[in-house]
Amino acid sequence: MRIKKGFVLREVCGEQVIMGEGVGALDFGKLLCLNETAAWLWKRAEEAGDWTVESLAEALCGEYDVDSARALADVKNIVAEWQKVNVLE
Amino acid sequence: MADFLEKSKRYKVAGHIFEVSQGICEGFFAKFMDNYAPFVVDESSDVASASNLFAIKVEHSDEMPQYNEDVCQDEEGQQIHCGSIGEKAVFDFRLRGELTGMLICSKDYKEASLLIPNGTSFNLLKFAVNNSLMVLYAIASASCYTLLFHSAVVNYHGKGYMFLGKSGTGKSTHARLWLKYNEGSELLNDDNPVVRFFKDGENSYARVYGSPWSGKTPCYKNEDYPLGGFVLLAQAPFNEIKRLRGVMAYAAIVPHISGKRWESVIADGLHKTENLLAMNVPIWHLDCLPDEGAAKLCVANIAQDKKEP
Repeated sequence: MRIKKGFVLREVCGEQVIMGEGVGALDFGKLLCLNETAAWLWKRAEEAGDWTVESLAEALCGEYDVDSARALADVKNIVAEWQKVNVLE
Repeated sequence: MADFLEKSKRYKVAGHIFEVSQGICEGFFAKFMDNYAPFVVDESSDVASASNLFAIKVEHSDEMPQYNEDVCQDEEGQQIHCGSIGEKAVFDFRLRGELTGMLICSKDYKEASLLIPNGTSFNLLKFAVNNSLMVLYAIASASCYTLLFHSAVVNYHGKGYMFLGKSGTGKSTHARLWLKYNEGSELLNDDNPVVRFFKDGENSYARVYGSPWSGKTPCYKNEDYPLGGFVLLAQAPFNEIKRLRGVMAYAAIVPHISGKRWESVIADGLHKTENLLAMNVPIWHLDCLPDEGAAKLCVANIAQDKKEP
């Protein structure tokens, strides 16, 4: 999977927020607030370019003290939310 | 007489200077740019040596260059097509489908030329000049803690209050209600004021400025005031006001700011200022009727500090 072109993570009033800024993302029309874990995953996903739920879960296990089943479940939930608002391809 | 021969003029809007030169006709500035007259730079004063934010040349052209289109914005019968020719940015401005002018900008938006098709009517030429200058101004000033808003703004007892809302929500109507029912109100601008954010040691503050762009209302005031607050308007069958904070406050102002957000350097500049405004300036949401009660409720809440010593 990939993050669609034109979506960026910015800090707004101390919160981590996804917004649509690029050509093709301009009509996103909303701001998506991320919690700390989701924002960390977004940054990993941006760096990776191409990624899978499994590869992000593995990265999460390396950073936080969390077992792999829990990490996979968390990443699945977060990625499902991103898919719901259509910021992935 | 002097204006007949005039090839260029400089203007200062919200402290930023831009230069307009032209090869269109004699008397161009008096004829097409009367709304900019209050903003003319006095070339005998200190600002004469100050540098330009950008310079634009307006001229006729038989042929419009081809360009690659990226984005098209359509609002109330006005279309702006944006694209590029190599490293140059292109904007073409249309009114009900008719091309009024094509703006071609250097990569850094410091130099631009506006090409006007031969035979373009008076109103369409004015439309092209105003739109080009607004686009260039918004982009070239984005990194200078400066934002060009779509808003009606009143000066109430020496502070600026800005009304925001989608087209047709009643920004101008609400401003008129202030003028009628809230004593001490004056219209500063009806459509496109400029906001700047300043940091002066510990002290940070925002100011709002009149501009040569004011929509259908000829209100071109070269005046500025401390910014007292933003009010996002929404039509409702009742009047109710609430303060917005954090991300909600940011979300309330961002859609009403001009710029080319899909160019990341510009987006970075806009975001920085927008974030500072959201954290430092009171931002309100007003559900309202177009009536006296709305203007009174609004002023009682947002300008409540005016009586403090």
